[in-house]
Amino acid sequence: MERKNILNLIIIITFAVLLIGLLNLDILQGSKFRKLSDSNSIRLISQSGARGNILDRNGEIIVGSKISYDVMILPEEPSHVGYLLSRISHILKIELGQLKAALKKNFISSSVPVVIASNIDLKKAILLGEYRAEEPSIIITPKPLRNYPHGSLAAHVVGYVNQIDRWRLTKLEDYGYKTKDIVGFGGVEEKYDYYLRQEEGGQSVEVNHRGQFMRVLGFQAPTNGRDIQLTLDLKIQKIVEDSMAGRKGSAILMDPQDGQILALASYPNFNPAVFVNNRSSLIAGLINNPDAPLINRSISSSYPPASVFKMIVASAALELKKIDTSTSFLCQGSTMVGARKYSCWDTHGRQNIFQAVAHSCDIFFYRTGLLAGAQNIHDYALKLGLGKNVGFELPYETSGFIPSPLWRKLNKFQSWFDGDTANLAIGQGDCLVTPLQATNMMAVFANGGFLTSPYIVRAVGGLDFSTKKKKLIPVKFKQSTFNTIISGLRKVVSDPEGTGNALSSLPVKVAGKTGTAQVARKATHAWFLGFFPFDKPKFVICIFLEHGGPGHTASVVAKQIIAEMDKQGLI
Amino acid sequence: MRSSFFKIFILALIISLLGVLSIYSSTFQKLGAWQNIYMRQMLWLIIGLACFFIFSGINYRKLWDANYFIYAAALFFLFLVFALGIIRLGAQRWLRFAWFNFQPSEFAKLAVIIFLARYFSRKSVNDTSLLSGKFGIFRGIILPFIFVAIPMFLIIEQPDLGSGLMLMLIFVCLLYLTNVRLRYISVFLSLIILPLPFLWNFLHDYQKQRLLVFLNPNIDPLGAGYTIIQSKIAIGSGGFFGRGWLAGTQSQLYFLPESHTDFIFATFSEQWGFLGSCLLILMYYLIIRQGFLIAQRTQDTFGKLLAYGISLLLALQVSINIAMNMGLAPVVGLPLPLMSYGGSSILTTFIALGILVNIDRTRTVF
Repeated sequence: MERKNILNLIIIITFAVLLIGLLNLDILQGSKFRKLSDSNSIRLISQSGARGNILDRNGEIIVGSKISYDVMILPEEPSHVGYLLSRISHILKIELGQLKAALKKNFISSSVPVVIASNIDLKKAILLGEYRAEEPSIIITPKPLRNYPHGSLAAHVVGYVNQIDRWRLTKLEDYGYKTKDIVGFGGVEEKYDYYLRQEEGGQSVEVNHRGQFMRVLGFQAPTNGRDIQLTLDLKIQKIVEDSMAGRKGSAILMDPQDGQILALASYPNFNPAVFVNNRSSLIAGLINNPDAPLINRSISSSYPPASVFKMIVASAALELKKIDTSTSFLCQGSTMVGARKYSCWDTHGRQNIFQAVAHSCDIFFYRTGLLAGAQNIHDYALKLGLGKNVGFELPYETSGFIPSPLWRKLNKFQSWFDGDTANLAIGQGDCLVTPLQATNMMAVFANGGFLTSPYIVRAVGGLDFSTKKKKLIPVKFKQSTFNTIISGLRKVVSDPEGTGNALSSLPVKVAGKTGTAQVARKATHAWFLGFFPFDKPKFVICIFLEHGGPGHTASVVAKQIIAEMDKQGLI
Repeated sequence: MRSSFFKIFILALIISLLGVLSIYSSTFQKLGAWQNIYMRQMLWLIIGLACFFIFSGINYRKLWDANYFIYAAALFFLFLVFALGIIRLGAQRWLRFAWFNFQPSEFAKLAVIIFLARYFSRKSVNDTSLLSGKFGIFRGIILPFIFVAIPMFLIIEQPDLGSGLMLMLIFVCLLYLTNVRLRYISVFLSLIILPLPFLWNFLHDYQKQRLLVFLNPNIDPLGAGYTIIQSKIAIGSGGFFGRGWLAGTQSQLYFLPESHTDFIFATFSEQWGFLGSCLLILMYYLIIRQGFLIAQRTQDTFGKLLAYGISLLLALQVSINIAMNMGLAPVVGLPLPLMSYGGSSILTTFIALGILVNIDRTRTVF
């Protein structure tokens, strides 16, 4: 036979086999399958694993899971369901109307189990479990829920969990996310959702025609998500949050040697547990609150850096040899820049760079800034990590902004005047930084010349990434520049006239810089940036108080925190 | 000879309209975005029909010239999927364009058929005999196999085992239809089949799972086995006359996964029963038979092989998909041509049919 005829025959045989197969399923076994379909006796009861825990650097649980129970029923016989619900409502002490509403809302078909009550505690689950012997169509499945043993502690770092929204779903569909999945929002929960996520398992069971459980056909164990260990130290975080309570702003403690974040707080904060229980009135309150408690002020909002920015002006001028340690300017309370009068917050007399940093003398920095030039100040600010994203792991980081003559020409078609340089030199005007950027900048002076990359996740699923994440970019300033600025920063605290003198009574030697940012028609923002112990810096601290008054208030908060850390022996 | 045009056109139109009905019935009870996917399928059907008319009007000999370009384009898209898959850390079989997902593996099947048809129909310069008759084992089998193996590897890697093996089957069948010696083919086949047990280790876990489940659906009643069981129940419960349109419970009530794509035959069969399914299979067979008849009466070897290739592609996909629905073949993820939801599959099938019709039309010009 010719080859094509053989192939033709094979095709005919294949199709004949298909018809025979159809005959077998439809006619010979038809009645059996019809019965199976009518009663479709296979039920899938899903069981979810636990989301990964979030731990602090010592392995203490910040966010964990607790088991709660869901009650489901198989609504096969409508007449029976009413009776069943009334019994369940009696046992669980939940109103009958509520159960009926849940049944109506979650009903898919008479053969799919319906969740009628969720988050039942263990006691009631056991009570109901005993009743199950009589009524096998009640199904109780354990469901791990997010649990926050420390309440709102580190809320902005961990974020919260909630049902996936439409926007996220369209982005994440390809990765196996489904509608009604619980996913992370904000913080580590969002950024590391893929790792924290659990996988569903479940049972397939056979039921009889009344929907009563007969036997288990198969079981697939659910998998838990992976644990994530942070660099946070819960003890320090607690101290920081206690001192910040009732205020508005942000506080950060970081290790300047490798960029590990030890504490990060943003106030006002929120309790992530309200999203687990889906308390809609409380959630609406959080969203509508004009103080925006859901925003992480440490990375997602930027503010004028004010006097804190003077460190950059000083570095630029010293590096460019526009001033040296013997340069001094006379402060008489005000000075003329062009035709306008620029004033200082006090009258300081003759000031060299050490005194000017210690007293935060504006006149000295107007003059120094004009000598260094606005474009240079901008360039040095960028060298110290401002004006661009830090590359932090938490989502929704903003980059802040450092203005420059070039930028203004290109974008606003306006000229840059000396007055603008004077404004920039004291960190006012269009200049904006985030508290984390400020912390990162301070770390360069604390560790003697390295720009760190702050990070907060140390290990995922037991794999330690800290050596990979430690990235130090050398900042090539002269050693004398660093020495000059560092001793100026120390004088801020040690000098009796220094703006941070409040911290001098501490047993630990602290260096730092305060800042008071002027805001139109409202109270000023307060900054304190510092590092300690002075001789061998282990911590960089940043306190930022939104509309918190003068820089002094921030340094008082810093003092409280450092004193408490010292008392607990954490330094 | 316009009759083959109308026969194929009418049969394909009826089958794909039945497909739209089945998609509607399988999704009309599901919520949200599911509800209008039958509209999208209608849109694809219209575009597909336009392609059918366009390709039936283009002389198929132009494909001879464009062959390398078509093959290169198919490889390019497959590489793109491969590269994006690496970047996006996961499995993906499609490229996302403005408002649709393009699945290059569908297109690649057709490209490989055109490539093989041209390769085996080249003629020698001296006389008009076919070169393939003089081919040794290297030029007859190994060289063309390399050209098939590259897209095949990329498709299996996506991972899409079904479409990858489809290329292999087409290759073997076309080889059989050429003048290449039977002895070579049997050596080649044994070389392919013998190392299969070793290739087992290269399969993805879920692919192994599916093959094991095919042997015994009850080892994984939650996953792949569940689909086979539910699909068999759906087909079987149809009985002789079926449950009637929109009256199927299996496919509409979440029991049957993929009820609008790979398992659409089960959805159809539940509603139209033995009678409807037999008619559907018969219609598929009639199209394929038309293809074979066209191939047999075409004298030009390129057209002949092309027509055989296209009919075989259709025949293999239809029979494997339906067998998979009935639990007679492993679940490998192949769409049912013309019926399953999915633009790439509809378009490719209609383009292939358009080429087929054109072969018959141009044939008379010679």
